[in-house]
Amino acid sequence: MSHEVTRRDFLKMGAAAAGALALGQFIPPRVAKAARQLDVVDANGDGYIPTMCEMCVWRCGVLAKVVNGRVVKLEGNPEHPHSLGRLCARGQSGLMNTYDPDRVLTPLVRVGKRGEGKFREATWDEALDIVSKNMLSIKQQYGPEAMVFSSTHNISQVQFENLLSGFGSPNYGTQRSLCFNAMIVANLMTYGMEEPNRDYSQVKYIILTGRNLVEAISTSETSALMDAIGRGVKMVYLDPRFTKTASKAAEWYPIRPGTDLAFHLALINVIIAEERYNKDFITKYTTGFDELKTAVQTYTPEWAAPITGINAEVIRRIAREFSDAGQYALAHNGWRTSNFINSFPAERAITILNALVGNWGVTMFPAAGEASGGLGTPPQPPYPRVSALRLDGVPWKYPFVPLKLGIFQQMREAIIEGKPYQAHGWFISRQNPVLSLPDRQRTLDAMGKLDFIVTIDIIMNDTSWFSDVVLPEASYLERFDPLLPVGNRVFVRQPVIEAQGEARSALWIYKELGKRLGLGDFFQYKDEEDYLAQQLAPLGKSVEEVRTKGYIDLPEGKQDNLFTWSTPSGKIEISSSTLKAGKFDPVPVWQEPLQPKDGAFYLLTGKVGQHTQMGTQNNLLLHKYQDEPRLWMNPEAAAKLGLKDWDLVEAASQVGVLRVALKVTSAIRPDCVYLTPGFGHLSKGLRTAYGVGASDSVLHETYVDPISGGQALSQTFVTVKKV
Amino acid sequence: MAQKKRYGFVIDISRCIDCRACMVACSVENKVPNNHTRIWVHDLGVKGEYPNLSRTFVPYNCMHCENPPCTQVCVSGATYKDPTNGLVLVDQEACIGCGYCVEACPYNARYLDEKRGVVDKCNGCIQRVYVGLKPACVATCLGGARMFGDLNDPTSEVSVALSKAGTIHVIDYEKGRVDTEPNIYYVNVPVLTRIDTVNDNTRQPINLPRDPHYTIAEEGWKKVLVPFIGAALGGTFLVQAVYFTKQLIEGEKEFDE
Repeated sequence: MSHEVTRRDFLKMGAAAAGALALGQFIPPRVAKAARQLDVVDANGDGYIPTMCEMCVWRCGVLAKVVNGRVVKLEGNPEHPHSLGRLCARGQSGLMNTYDPDRVLTPLVRVGKRGEGKFREATWDEALDIVSKNMLSIKQQYGPEAMVFSSTHNISQVQFENLLSGFGSPNYGTQRSLCFNAMIVANLMTYGMEEPNRDYSQVKYIILTGRNLVEAISTSETSALMDAIGRGVKMVYLDPRFTKTASKAAEWYPIRPGTDLAFHLALINVIIAEERYNKDFITKYTTGFDELKTAVQTYTPEWAAPITGINAEVIRRIAREFSDAGQYALAHNGWRTSNFINSFPAERAITILNALVGNWGVTMFPAAGEASGGLGTPPQPPYPRVSALRLDGVPWKYPFVPLKLGIFQQMREAIIEGKPYQAHGWFISRQNPVLSLPDRQRTLDAMGKLDFIVTIDIIMNDTSWFSDVVLPEASYLERFDPLLPVGNRVFVRQPVIEAQGEARSALWIYKELGKRLGLGDFFQYKDEEDYLAQQLAPLGKSVEEVRTKGYIDLPEGKQDNLFTWSTPSGKIEISSSTLKAGKFDPVPVWQEPLQPKDGAFYLLTGKVGQHTQMGTQNNLLLHKYQDEPRLWMNPEAAAKLGLKDWDLVEAASQVGVLRVALKVTSAIRPDCVYLTPGFGHLSKGLRTAYGVGASDSVLHETYVDPISGGQALSQTFVTVKKV
Repeated sequence: MAQKKRYGFVIDISRCIDCRACMVACSVENKVPNNHTRIWVHDLGVKGEYPNLSRTFVPYNCMHCENPPCTQVCVSGATYKDPTNGLVLVDQEACIGCGYCVEACPYNARYLDEKRGVVDKCNGCIQRVYVGLKPACVATCLGGARMFGDLNDPTSEVSVALSKAGTIHVIDYEKGRVDTEPNIYYVNVPVLTRIDTVNDNTRQPINLPRDPHYTIAEEGWKKVLVPFIGAALGGTFLVQAVYFTKQLIEGEKEFDE
């Protein structure tokens, strides 16, 4: 009997599929037809289509289950090295981004005042005409540099860069200076590469410095870390908060914010003083060891203890354990350490610590990066010469900041100050600077200085809310993006369902806009598939193959010598010749960070496993399983202020004030408070996220690290009182 | 004829990172309404004195009990224990939505779907298992904490994990209630962790079902029925269990203060 019931159960589950038969004629033609031809779906259009996730920048491989023209489930693609069959909460929720009831599905043109949220629908023709007219008018009156462009790390960014370079503007903002400039520039100075790969398969000892890998999730790396811990690998974790990563660590130290540098200098001191470093490796593959030796002589554990709040004997023991593990040790060299102005030398110290034990080729490897993988590109004419200075001061004021990183917060300052010249327009793609830049009011002020703002996004994010034109992009499940090499494979992002409404791919938008701007020659592809075909041409592979499997294998490349680095010396630069030439300290030296005055707290930033930055809070599935975003405070500090759990409190910095509920928890140092970023949205077009929590961008003060250009996101101090 | 299956979960507590990928995956796979969930990760909270802290996460869902109270109160016969695989299932065509089973479940693992007028809960993703897939929560578990399989098959992942485990815990029934013999087994439970009454007042942004009120009883270890490893573990197991019980009692005192 029960067997019968089970069968009935099963039949019911197939009911949707049965419906598909009846509705067959309504299956949107293109995507389903292509998928049928590729044999990834059956006659009804049901099956699994391989593509790539876009819920964060880790870009896992996805198998999208499609039934009746709708995507019903996402699985991690076992063939992709970033997912290995798994997806995190955000990846699993991805289809709710696509089916968000608040999707913008037609071009919108502002009719009310900026920020009023009054828009009218427009056709693509009309909207693109408005955008191109405004951009050309700004170019004619003030020069192309008066148009600033900004976008956050995504696969179609290459064509975004193509648009701005073709237009002739040097002003390019990315999220990077708010995130990892310190790490990238430190890695470039030491290793000549942006971010070496970490390998956990042989690791025996791990130091994580502010790398909350269990909550700031990179699926395969998080899984690899948990596997390592499962093998009994010792993990030492430094963070002023007892995060979920801390709960998995063998040892957690609530280090004083801004002093990660002192801790690592002391480790280096012990390893050198006790001659515990890998002498062979240092001699063969590094330069500048002697300078380091001299520089760190006074940085003993006894010196570091009162600075960091970590016992000298503990520091000494960790230095010994780390060097005992030798090349099997790994000090995680990412991403932002303490988010202070001294993050750059702290990152440098971590790279050097790794070099001292010679873990290159064992726990650290050269990054494959986003190299071309031998892919082709559509032909295009040379870009116009740009003579205008960049508004963000790169490189004329900040010579070491790579152009493609830039200094976003400095660009905003230049828009407000009108120096070295006044910007007039802002082209924003898939980015929400209103919430991501520090000092939100100043970002809104900057927008007030501009004649024209256009935003491309899939939802009405806070920046779109203040824009003049909003262009609806197809979601990552609805569009093609350029192919992406990962390791020895090239992966595809392809539509698994038809784009809803009038949403279009970025490749299409940039091309159509380019045509109207007189830049048609820069976009020589017929459509998205043609773009992919031109990418694949040099490899002799077909679009069908990559669409069917989700990837193609790259031919065996020539194995580069593991032990060469793209630094001026070709070695790992313990003492950086570049920094020396720029008259900066060539080896890391101690810099005392700012400290809060009596009664004030460090305002810490961080991540949760259920959200990515500022972009996912409107996702109903993530909203369902998120924690209420509250301001964390230690019970000792709360008692002093007479505050209780769930009290509504007011937090104030030099630049702003916000109200938020309090979370009293012993999981944070008594001199710190913490707020998860990404909440406190201004856009009422985000009906799920609007009204939830508060945005730390209201409080953040703006900083620029003179070497890396990084923002110091935890170098803001706040007072807290009961409302 | 092949031996009957007994599907169950084994959860390695040390590897749960509370990322909630399992919860989202379950909601999508099983079309769970936004105001309900079939699966939970219970946070035992930050324990200890700063800076000597610990925090443990306990994932759970329907326990697919050997002795399920829900089936006994079901007036329509919709809730049943599938004799072929051991899963406790709901035939939603037969379910009349009376909600008795929701009340009867000591783990609060069931909910009444008001819109459809039927009761719903974890079905072990039997629709996936039939076609050779793992349940959605298990397939995507980032930490590798969740395992699912046939407890009657000594070569299954779950059986192997249990045979390797030092101590095995189950979340037990409340005192005075019937022993349900749950089929979710927890391994690598930190010694000082109490899987106890879940009654923190954490406000959730959405209305999850009422707080579950399960307990792990002092005699909880007695209920662990793992015949194929019982002999192997023997005395050690008992000693550890007694130790654990002691910890619990001590923990209880601490908790009361």
